[in-house]
Parts: sequence; C-alpha cells; structure tokens
Amino acid sequence: MDKKKRRRRYGTAFAVLVVLLVVLFISNICIGSVPVSFLEVKDYFLGRNVPEVTAGIIGKIRLPRALASLLLGGALALSGYLLQSFFRNPIAGPFVLGISSGAKLAVAVLMILSLKKAMQLSSLMMITAAFVGAILSMAFVLAMSKRVSKMSALIVSGVMIGYICSAITDFIVTFAEDSQIVNLHNWSRGSFSGINMANVQVMAVVVICGLLLVFFLAKPIGAYEISEVTAKSLGVNVPFLKVSLVILSSILSACVVAFAGPVSFVGVATPHMVKRLLGSSKPILMIPACFLGGAVFCLLSDLIARMVFSPTELSISTVTAVFGAPVVLIVMAKRRKEV
Amino acid sequence: MEQNYEFKLDKLTVGYDGKPLIRDITLSLEKGRIMTLIGPNGAGKSTILKSIARQLSALGGRMYFGEKDLVSCSREELAKTMAVVLTDRLHTELMTCRDVVAFGRYPYTGRFGLLSAEDEEKIERAMKLVHVQELSEKDYGRISDGQRQRVLLARAICQEPELLILDEPTSYLDIKYKLEFLSILLKLQRERNLTVIMSLHELELASRVSDRILCVKGEFADRYGTAEEIFQKEYICQLFEIPDELQKSDLGKGILSSILT
Repeated sequence: MDKKKRRRRYGTAFAVLVVLLVVLFISNICIGSVPVSFLEVKDYFLGRNVPEVTAGIIGKIRLPRALASLLLGGALALSGYLLQSFFRNPIAGPFVLGISSGAKLAVAVLMILSLKKAMQLSSLMMITAAFVGAILSMAFVLAMSKRVSKMSALIVSGVMIGYICSAITDFIVTFAEDSQIVNLHNWSRGSFSGINMANVQVMAVVVICGLLLVFFLAKPIGAYEISEVTAKSLGVNVPFLKVSLVILSSILSACVVAFAGPVSFVGVATPHMVKRLLGSSKPILMIPACFLGGAVFCLLSDLIARMVFSPTELSISTVTAVFGAPVVLIVMAKRRKEV
Repeated sequence: MEQNYEFKLDKLTVGYDGKPLIRDITLSLEKGRIMTLIGPNGAGKSTILKSIARQLSALGGRMYFGEKDLVSCSREELAKTMAVVLTDRLHTELMTCRDVVAFGRYPYTGRFGLLSAEDEEKIERAMKLVHVQELSEKDYGRISDGQRQRVLLARAICQEPELLILDEPTSYLDIKYKLEFLSILLKLQRERNLTVIMSLHELELASRVSDRILCVKGEFADRYGTAEEIFQKEYICQLFEIPDELQKSDLGKGILSSILT
C-alpha cells in the first residue's frame, strides 16, 4: 500500500514539473515588450502562416532564449546535484564553490584575446575555455576539501575562490578595449539574452549528452551518497565515479557559463526543492526531476527578469538569488548541528 | 583437510599510507565459524578488518576464501562474496529502512539498479530474519542505534555473502540489543553456514560467541586460538596491560573472574 502511495507521489511530482515547464515555456514566448498571442505561437509551431515580424520575434529572439533557459537551467540544477552528491554537502553548487567564477574568468580571457587577434569565437571554443576554468577552480576546491573537514569551511573556501576569480575578471575587463567591455560586462553578470539558434544547437548536444551520462551513473551515485565505504563494499568503482562526477558537473556548469555567464543559486537550491517535492532522494528520480526543476526555475526567473522592470532587464542572478538564497538558508538552519 | 579451511590469511601486512602497522598475519578459519578480533584500543583491529574488506589495500600477503583470491578478484565478485558493516557515518536523507536494506541487492541488479520481484522477496526475508520488518517504512535517520545495527545486518544478509565482516557491531547497543544482535549472528551461522569476522570490545561476549579469537597488539598479531586458549587471566592482563594493583584489587578480581570463567 505504501508503495502505491509513493508511486502516486512520484507521478504527481513529475506531472507538476512537466506542466509548469510547458506553461512557462509558452509564457516565455508569448510575454514580452511585443506580446504574441498563444494562437500565433501555435500556428508558428504548426508551420502555418504568421506575420513576418511575429515569426522573427518568435524564431530569432524568444524561442532560442526560452530553449536556452530550459537547457541551461536543467544543466545548472544537475551540476549542483552532482556536486552535492560528490561532497555529501547540501550547500554545494557550481556558483558557491567558485566553479562558475573560474569558468567566467577563463571565458573573459578568451574573449579579450580573441578581440586582440580579431579572431571569431565559436561556441565550442567558449565551452572549452569555460570547462578549463571550471576544472581549475574545482581542483582548488578539491585541494581545500582534503584539508578541511567541515561542510561550512569547504563552502567558505569555494566562495573565496569565487571572489578571487571575479576580482581577476574585473581587473581584466577594466583594461580591455572599450568596444568589447559592454558586451563582456553584460555577459559577466549573467543573462540569457543574445543567444541564437546555432548556440542552442550546440548547448542542446552538450547538455543532453551530459544528462544521459549522468543517468547511467544513477546506480553508483545512490550507493556513494550513503558513504564511500558502503559504495566500495557493494562493488562500486569509487575512483572512477568520483572523476566522472567532477568532470560531468564541470562540463554542465561550464556550458552554462559559456552561453549565459554565471547564474547563481539554481544549482544549490533546485535539488532541495525537488527532493521535498518527490519525498525521496533516489538518484534515478532525482536526476530527471532536477533537470526539469532547474528548467522551470530558470524559465520563471528569466520571465521575471525581463518583465518586472521592462524595458529594463534585470540580470538573471538577481532573480534566481531572490528565490534560491532563502532555500539555502532554510537548509542550513535545518542542519545547523552538522554544518 | 585443506578444503575445510575456507578463509585464509597468508602473511597479510596491513597499515596506512604504505607504513605497516601489523605484519605477517597468517591464519585459517573453517567455513561457518565466527572469528573475533580483540585487543586494546588503537591496536589496529579496524585496520585489519578494513584490509580484509579491501577498503584499505593490503601492504603485502594474500587472502583467500576457498579457492577465491580476495586480493585480486573483481569488485563485483568481492561484493557477492563478502558483506561489510563498518563504523562509518551514513548519509540517508529521506531513506526508509527498507531503502537501506535494498542496497544489499546492489551487486545483483542491472544497470539502473531496479529491483526484481525476487530481489524484493529477498529484502523482505532478510528483514524478517533480523526482526526489522515493522521498521520497513520508517525513516532510517529516526530509529535507535540498536535498530540501525539490525537494519545494516539485514542489508548485509540480503547481499547473500558467504563471509560477513563487522566492526564493533555491538558497541553502542544496550545489553538487550547486544544479546539480540549476537543471537541473530549465531542463528545465521547455524542456518546459513555464514563465516563471520568481527571485532568486539566486550570480552565476555567475545568469549561466548567466538570459535576463534585473534588478539591484536603490537607489530604482529599476538595470538590466535580458541576462546579457552585465549581467555586465561594472565594472558588477558598482559594483552590489555592491566597493572598488578588493579588485578589484585577487589574490583579487578571480581570483574576479571566474571569475564574469564
């Protein structure tokens, strides 16, 4: 009987996430400085005739932006989930551990170098640079985690690494040539604007491959979350799993930084929210739920960022922090004994 | 003659970071017997258990279980041969006791770890065997230490091992749970011919349940034998370095004689 009840709860949770995702996705396309009606959106997707201006707004601006929010939001939440599993630390995430800032620094350097040499930047180059930056930050965090045993100390060292990387980024931006500064500045605050369909294709490949690979790790992640000894005694290849977790979480958060800049709190907060929604921490459920939850979170945040003070746009992190930071505080307050 | 000795250590040397702590442990244990490690705190009982469980890599020597070489067999094979309950802290957020027990089926399930009807039945039976079926749906984080220890034993049982490794399984249990736990172990030994290797702090319990005792102290394993051979007053006092005046005091005499009957 309990089993049936639990199945029903999982079903409900996923239904809620999917419905929210669809509703928010359509809202993101409809709502904006030029409103587009739902019927027009429907016609656009069914390949019927829509006014050229409307088609342009949907196809060139809103659709890629909504798709980017969906994919990158999912990637962030997944990356956060992997980091929390890896460190068994409920307040770990790509932004708090300084991994996003490391990726940001690497991308900023690449952008300025390319400007100097007048070279065209491809999406793949951006992702690679972000990945290198993310892995370097991760290496620092890992080195620190060997020296500090407390969860809070690990987070503090991550935040410090983040500050150092941001300071260096600011320094570089200050001395960069004028024309690029505006672009760099906008991006370095985090935003889903200015993403085109070609970008979306690249991120879709990276994020969906990442998601599938994480899926295949669901079983060992479950054992590893309990304890390393347990995982080993059940036959898990622990060193391989650890390397996989580090690399996958870095790729996922690097992909976000490369296209949207650093986005805070989605990675930390989403896993907790979906865990409460599901009432379970089983990875096989958490992985898809985190992806959906992160997508919902970012779609909603981007909608708010665009709309609340329209035509002025807020940076995406401003909105995600408002929702995400309280979640982190609640989690910390609940576990104050352990932290 | 040889075949009776299922578990064998041949010059096993254990330690951390390449530094040997205890050298050249050589012993054999028949299948279906219980071996207990005793010795003073910090002597290296856990280190030996961790090395047998391959949580620590052995610094030298061989380990066999029957024909199987425990040092070189695959992770999967080891997990099907040996179940381990050590004293590490577990993170079990939102997990029911049943979820925790179900991890025992890990070596047998497929790529995504989905449980078959057969797995479910084995989980059920293991929980019944150690009397935790009524905890099935309870949150593992909210049960007592005694209950936890039994849930972990159920996990180990449904892993269907031939060899069970336990590190101080009774340390935090009150006397009722200690007795209950050990009586379940004896039942497993009888019914499933399970070989058990564990460490115990309580000498009076060790002397009652063990077929063989390994005394751990200093650079080499000090002694290996039956309870009668080991539990001699002189030897125990020497093993734990109990000073003369304590041995001769009324308190010391009383307690020692109650352990060493």
